[in-house]
Amino acid sequence: MNGLMLIARREIVTQLRTKAFVIGLLVTVLLVAAVSYAPKIMGGDSYTLGTVNSQQLPLERAAPDAEFEWRTFPDEEAAKQAVLAGDVDAALVDNARVLTDGEIDSQLGVLLQSVHREVKLGEAGVNIPPLQIQSVGADARYEGARAGIAVVLVLVLFMLIIGQITMVAMGVVEEKGSRIVEILLSSVRPWQLLAGKIFGLGVVGLINMTAILVVGLIATSVSGLSADFPPGMTGLVVGVLVWFVLGYVFFATLSAALASLVSRQEEVSTVLTPLTMTIMVTYFVSFYVVNNATGLLATVLSYVPPFSSMVMPVRMAATEVPLWQVGLSMVAMVVAASAVLALGAKVYSRAVLRTGARLKLTDVLRAK
Amino acid sequence: MLEISDLRKRFAGGPEAPEGKVALDGISFTVRPGEMYGFVGANGAGKTTTMRIVMGVLQADSGEVRWQGRPLGYDDRKRFGYMPEERGLYQKMKVAEQIEYFGRLQGLGTGEAKKAAADLIERLGLGERRNDAVQALSLGNQQRVQLAVALVHDPAVLVLDEPFSGLDPIAVDALAAVLQERCRGGVPVIFSSHQLELVERLCDSVGIVSAGRMVATGTVSELRAAESGTLRVVVRDATPGWADGLPGTVTIEGDRHILATTGADDQEILRRAMKAGHVEYFGAEQPSLTEIFKEAVA
Repeated sequence: MNGLMLIARREIVTQLRTKAFVIGLLVTVLLVAAVSYAPKIMGGDSYTLGTVNSQQLPLERAAPDAEFEWRTFPDEEAAKQAVLAGDVDAALVDNARVLTDGEIDSQLGVLLQSVHREVKLGEAGVNIPPLQIQSVGADARYEGARAGIAVVLVLVLFMLIIGQITMVAMGVVEEKGSRIVEILLSSVRPWQLLAGKIFGLGVVGLINMTAILVVGLIATSVSGLSADFPPGMTGLVVGVLVWFVLGYVFFATLSAALASLVSRQEEVSTVLTPLTMTIMVTYFVSFYVVNNATGLLATVLSYVPPFSSMVMPVRMAATEVPLWQVGLSMVAMVVAASAVLALGAKVYSRAVLRTGARLKLTDVLRAK
Repeated sequence: MLEISDLRKRFAGGPEAPEGKVALDGISFTVRPGEMYGFVGANGAGKTTTMRIVMGVLQADSGEVRWQGRPLGYDDRKRFGYMPEERGLYQKMKVAEQIEYFGRLQGLGTGEAKKAAADLIERLGLGERRNDAVQALSLGNQQRVQLAVALVHDPAVLVLDEPFSGLDPIAVDALAAVLQERCRGGVPVIFSSHQLELVERLCDSVGIVSAGRMVATGTVSELRAAESGTLRVVVRDATPGWADGLPGTVTIEGDRHILATTGADDQEILRRAMKAGHVEYFGAEQPSLTEIFKEAVA
């Protein structure tokens, strides 16, 4: 096994063994599962209705998404008590009156009135065909689901990238500050050390990401939520993994390069500030894109690295993006990530042995 | 054979010192196989810089390091064992795992690394701590782990920066024994130290650096020969004023006159001392390394 793989393996083993990783993974998995179930638990209106000397109205025909439960009461007094106690939302008396506690739920009111009218008209022999609703805009059936998936994705991408690049930075400073790097660099090349660390921690991030996606897919399919998902989920999942890798490589390399300028853990967050700001901006922009996925800003930024690493997957989730656009954007990101790798490796190998006060990036780049 | 020739290094200056600082101003020395080379000098003299250049951690501005007659390259250095001045270990990694990890990085197979680590752990008395995180160890024990990391791949050369600092006398002996054993196996060993008695006891050769220059180098006896020893004469019931005109100083303790002098004609002094009284002691004292060091650095 060469140096790079040994270094990567150490990073992976060390990370997977920490309590923080295990607990973090459990918490995210539980959260994802909860989110996948949440719409089911909170979703769908349900009404409990009472009847006194009345027929049940076929409300479910008018509102297929809602659930109705009927109870029969012997007399009006019993129904009144049930309404006041909140056991039923409303009670229908003698097919003519509806008892409520104050104002009636407006949707329920409309439903009761229109269904009642329809039933009466039907009895009188009048049949009204329901109105056909036709959308002239884009296929909007999956809009809600798409936006939901996009929001979850952008959050997961953001959290994982920030988390992993911080680990990269802390690892770099640990080795630099303690001079472990002097021993390491007498047996491996600087680029091997850098690449091994980025690769190892990337695998850890990918394990996290895969766990989230798998749990999300299983939980939504168990909860039945996945029935509402748009077609092409497999493509989206693969796309997200690729985008995570690209974004991670870009940001992690910069993180390692910046971290190699300082020698103490306390300085890590300061030196990373410009980078974390960039990631924050990317995150906010992506969040905005969720609701404006077809706008000009979304389209343009989905090609511009590093914004594309989060904006494009969000666009892919929120709307349909032609494959060639995704490909083009990925190529741009790969080019950008390669450039950053070359630059980052240069800064890192020059700075990582210069212990002491914080180095200036410009000095490091200028030095021969 | 490890040859270091004419190393020069200047560090870039900051705003206060635009010219920078000359760290090495032509350092040369040679370490033969099986030789233990002690590297001494005041703080900031250039010992660490020299060692870091040998290990390729730092680039010299000019000069060369040669190993087996060829310029020292990356692949040769992989076979070197190194202990940096500021100790570098993963604090949260376990002792045995850490030694194995560095062994593997330096090219050992899994089994070889395990075996080498186990041997060293035994040898350095770390047996009970093998599964403890390094951060739970005392400073002395951490230093033993550090040494194990330098030794795990059976290095061809050992470069150790202050390996003995902060160790108790028993740990010093344990470490010295391990180094001497490697040295007898034909490995050149370079180590720096401020403990001059220790250097004198362990080393075949010594290099004294001062302000980036090698002011004296050679075997301990060569250095002694270059430095004339102090002649001490103790005379009882001597005639006052017997040593007038002789170089050196006379101290009087009760009825004894003690003359300490360097570079004088010893036969002449002996004749005059015998004439003056009863000669109790007459002898040339070998300079200690401390004296040689102070003389060389002054």
